Amino acid sequence: MISDFESYESIKLWKESKISSCLSNAFLLNQLHDSVMNKVFEVASVRLNKGNPPCSYSWFVTGSSGRYEQGLISDQDHGIIFEIASPKNEEYFLELGKEISDGLDVVGYPYCQGNVMSSNPLWCQSFEQWRAQLFVWMEKNSWDTIRNLQIFYDARHLHGTDRYVDELKSFIYTYQKKHPMLLKRFMENVMHIKRSVGPFGQIIVEEHGEHQGSINLKYAVFLPYVNAIRILAIKEGLTETSTLARIDQLSQIKTYSEMLQSVKSNFQKLLDYRLSLTHIQSYKDTHFLNMKNLDSQGKKEIKRILKDGKKLHYYVCRLVEKGCE
Amino acid sequence: MERLPSISVEMFLMNSLWTMVSAILVIFMYGGFILLEAGSTRMKNAGHIAGKTVFAVGLTFLVFWAVGYGFIFGSNGNFFTGMSDFFYAGQQAEGASLSTTVFFVFQSAFAAISVCVALGGFAERAKFSVYVVFTVLFSVLVYPVVAHWIWGGGWLAEHGKQDFAGSTVVHLTGAMAALAATILLKPRIGKYNKDGSANNLAGHNQVYTALAVLILWVGWFGFNAGSTVSVDEGFFGFVALNTNLAAGAGAVAALTISWIVLGKSDIITTLNGALAGLVAITASCAFVDTWAAVVIGFIAGILVFYSARFFEKRKIDDPIFALSVHGTAGVWGTLSTGFFATPELASVGSAGLFYGGGFGQLGVQFMGVVTSGAYAFAISFLILVIASKLLNGLRVSEEEEIMGLDMSEHGSYGYPEQFITKNNKVS
Repeated sequence: MISDFESYESIKLWKESKISSCLSNAFLLNQLHDSVMNKVFEVASVRLNKGNPPCSYSWFVTGSSGRYEQGLISDQDHGIIFEIASPKNEEYFLELGKEISDGLDVVGYPYCQGNVMSSNPLWCQSFEQWRAQLFVWMEKNSWDTIRNLQIFYDARHLHGTDRYVDELKSFIYTYQKKHPMLLKRFMENVMHIKRSVGPFGQIIVEEHGEHQGSINLKYAVFLPYVNAIRILAIKEGLTETSTLARIDQLSQIKTYSEMLQSVKSNFQKLLDYRLSLTHIQSYKDTHFLNMKNLDSQGKKEIKRILKDGKKLHYYVCRLVEKGCE
Repeated sequence: MERLPSISVEMFLMNSLWTMVSAILVIFMYGGFILLEAGSTRMKNAGHIAGKTVFAVGLTFLVFWAVGYGFIFGSNGNFFTGMSDFFYAGQQAEGASLSTTVFFVFQSAFAAISVCVALGGFAERAKFSVYVVFTVLFSVLVYPVVAHWIWGGGWLAEHGKQDFAGSTVVHLTGAMAALAATILLKPRIGKYNKDGSANNLAGHNQVYTALAVLILWVGWFGFNAGSTVSVDEGFFGFVALNTNLAAGAGAVAALTISWIVLGKSDIITTLNGALAGLVAITASCAFVDTWAAVVIGFIAGILVFYSARFFEKRKIDDPIFALSVHGTAGVWGTLSTGFFATPELASVGSAGLFYGGGFGQLGVQFMGVVTSGAYAFAISFLILVIASKLLNGLRVSEEEEIMGLDMSEHGSYGYPEQFITKNNKVS
């Protein structure tokens, strides 16, 4: 595919002209993000001006873009897997990674604060190095490495050869089957849930600041759903990355079908709520849902979704514990 | 020295010694106020807060010596004040059961506590000159009048108003002045957003704040148990016991309610709870049973949590929670004797509602709170309005407020290393 764009600025303009028509639909919005990021990749390759890639590779995105759950604006999260290890190849893809990161930043995806970017040698390696690194991460079992593994599990191939990501994920799956403790470590890594419902059934909201009276959807509900479902996905070796697709796949499995009954519709609603919070004028993403703007029906619904999220969380906890016995 | 024939020399000396120790404990509480106020506010005002507290306390002592003591305890009084013993020269009062000089020092320590509470409402935005003017006028016109009414044989004393160590006299009076100040000074820059939501301008050192609470807690044994001004029958021990119980109950209650409502156990609320328990038991510590002290402290801990939220919602910016800790808990503490005072312990007034005393004492307590509170608020408000006219406004300029009062009012930082590098960049 030959890019019809020559500069990041022109991609930015194109994105801005398209985005308002996608705001009502999370799927369309993520489709748009994908094509924007693909275009950035193409322009970056041209800008790098070092000819064709020296070997086959996969450029993947992860985090919310990996899960197909981006809002209007989110950080960039991505990495590269290339086929053949050599200092020359390493240099080429790292430089490309740097160019992509800069490009994405210009287009409106700020640099990742956790440095999950192709410009970081940790996230830009040959297939064999990746395998070795995943193995080390799993063996080391520390808070950081487990967090990295979770991030990697949300990786979605975007450009290049598509099989590398799935092959590496199946490597994690195989290891995990032999070491059930790993799954427990995954769970321990995401145990924190922002308390959102008090003992009297009241919804706990922000006390101070510009979001006073709002609930932080991201930390109170969104992440608990995403994390719990990801752990089930790792357990079952699913390659899908979007939480909705994972739920669909998991629902096919008899043990989960009952538990997951309401989970899909809950999560769909959460995505809708999040889109409804987008401030189109200021182009600002927000995860804060103001309780004052909800009628009693809406409040009830949110409370149910919050409680279901907690239930799901503890369900997966128990399941993982059982697996370790 | 003239003494009551019934009092032995030993008793006289022991009473004097105990009260002197208590006076020192109360004076040590200013250290608590320094840490409380500095810890609850931002670094750029820390030196100012520490220094102005020492200064205001010193100034209060002088005013108290000149007129305060005479206004409260002097004879030949009018409705508002007594009219003798100005510029007190150390003379022994006839028939007193302890050294009058000790009593004087003890009382002057109380007056300065009230000033400390009041000035808390000025935090982080008032001009230093306002502190000076207000400290003098508050110590002349506000505190002595309420103290005279309740402790100096004034009209509320005649009604049997119960306020053992000053929930009303010291704490409510100070808090009402703080309220007048916060209203007139308006919220600090950055406290409220345009849409009316409030920001948390977090204090710079929670450890200071916690240490402050502990120092105040210890000092409170002088404040309450010392208010016996006597070692007779070791009754001060009972007062100290009640004080301790109420402080503990206040801390536990405040932590519990914050945990339930906010989903997290809030440190600042817990600290405020301990103080609220202490403020509340101050009026009732000598008049109620131990179980009642627990209840009084517990309720104070709950009240202080909701009170702080209430004031914040009303756009009243109270950086160190003076209104809730000293005001709301002061009101509750004063009313509490109207419920819990026992017939055996009510050395002043009569038994409370729960001990068959009917609504009589509760009515007196209520009347005392309303009149004392209203007087303290009105006069403080008036003082500040006049001061504002004379001093061309109460508040420092926006630039000075942002710069911090350490630099704008005093020319040196409480935490120099924290700020000097920044200044170098500018120049």
